[in-house]
Amino acid sequence: MLLFRSEEDIERWSEMRGTPRGETMSVEQQWRLARAWFEDRLLPGYRRRTPEEVEAVFAGIGLTGPFWSLSARG
Amino acid sequence: MSADDRIERSDDATTDDVVRLAIMRMFVDEGRPPAPNELASIVGIPQAEAEASLRRLADAHVIVLAPGTPLVWMANPFSALPTPFEVRRGDRRWWGNCIWDALGVLATISSDGEVRTSCPDCGEPLRLEVRDGQIGGDAAVVHYSTPAAKWWDDIGST
Repeated sequence: MLLFRSEEDIERWSEMRGTPRGETMSVEQQWRLARAWFEDRLLPGYRRRTPEEVEAVFAGIGLTGPFWSLSARG
Repeated sequence: MSADDRIERSDDATTDDVVRLAIMRMFVDEGRPPAPNELASIVGIPQAEAEASLRRLADAHVIVLAPGTPLVWMANPFSALPTPFEVRRGDRRWWGNCIWDALGVLATISSDGEVRTSCPDCGEPLRLEVRDGQIGGDAAVVHYSTPAAKWWDDIGST
């Protein structure tokens, strides 16, 4: 999960490495995901999310589809 | 949190719960994880039990140990080693494992602050800022190269 200056930088970087381009999200989306994901880490009762709970967090900020699915292991 | 501080243990908390919390609190307070002997002192258990707990937490993907050691490398969002994702709040500094984690450090401590990294393509420094809970800073885009189902195949490079 890297931060790029622009979509063009992602295209060039992916091409140079010969790797397929993945998925992108806005900085705002990433901040929302970070907050949803980590807000409970200092709580004594923290436990890892189930795959279903993870997918629900992703869906809550608009991340859906095979890339964000935990059952799409290939 | 320091090795002299004990963590109070609620009745239903497991050793692993308390060890995990001790790791997180020391990362927050000191920017580093406790060593196994410090964990043993903080939690009030023998060092061998602390190391066994660390291994269980690593097996459960709650933390990552440095290969071949009982030393904490990552307890997301924190990294024990410097990374390209620096998090600052005033004169305090932490390291995130990726941009998600770097922002996650600020989310974890519920604090304003800033994240400094650079574009992997052009090398331009990039800075994000959280102020009053809102994100701002340089224009930038986040890229995920690995599908979610494969993140733990090689968490060190993910």
